[in-house]
Amino acid sequence: MRAFRTTLLLAICSLMLFSCADVRAWERGYLAREEMAWAPDALESSLNDHIFFSKEASSGGNSAAGGGCGCN
Amino acid sequence: MNIKQKSQMLALLTLTAVSTSAWAVEEGDQAPIFDLPSIYADHPAISTASLAGKTVYVDFWASWCAPCLSSLPLYNDMYHKYKDQGLEIVAINVDNPIEDGLDFLLDTPLDFLIPADPDGEAAELFEVIGMPTSYLIEPDGTVKLVHMGFRSGDIEMIEEAIRDSLGGGN
Repeated sequence: MRAFRTTLLLAICSLMLFSCADVRAWERGYLAREEMAWAPDALESSLNDHIFFSKEASSGGNSAAGGGCGCN
Repeated sequence: MNIKQKSQMLALLTLTAVSTSAWAVEEGDQAPIFDLPSIYADHPAISTASLAGKTVYVDFWASWCAPCLSSLPLYNDMYHKYKDQGLEIVAINVDNPIEDGLDFLLDTPLDFLIPADPDGEAAELFEVIGMPTSYLIEPDGTVKLVHMGFRSGDIEMIEEAIRDSLGGGN
């Protein structure tokens, strides 16, 4: 009975993975849309990044270039 | 059925449900069959049945994919060069909405077939992994070449494969 319960739990957990939908190659245009950007204002974001870089003597790590199409 | 058998059955069913994803089309496979409307409202639908017996170059593209846009004018030149020898180029647009693709085509007119696949039905059949991906399909329906991405110099390699498929002409 215990083995059955464990398998049932594993089965439920595996089936829950269905909610983790991946973005298919042809759907990546959605990620390139303006409303999908982390920061609403690109200029302000780049200024903040520059200030952070000046203060901390570090750069990068906060975002990646490209529209997310996976084609670069 | 005892508890052990029940557990095994449940594990098997779960594995079957989880592993339903299809495999990507590879060289040597039979090309999937598709039937899509043209991106242009006044053009007829495009299906594999209407392309039977021809060498077909299928390319998946979108307006948000920069390498796709740089490859299409080169494919247009290649189409004009080899269409009399039986080459068909089918550039499947996956933009959603399709108006994004039509905007690009206003500036860059292309003369080959351009089906619209906004819901990714054909892309799903081919299991496209990256954009752009193109497939050279022989007249018997076999996939001769799968090419992902597009960099400078790729067109020569693609042209060579097409020439080979058309029977070494030109």
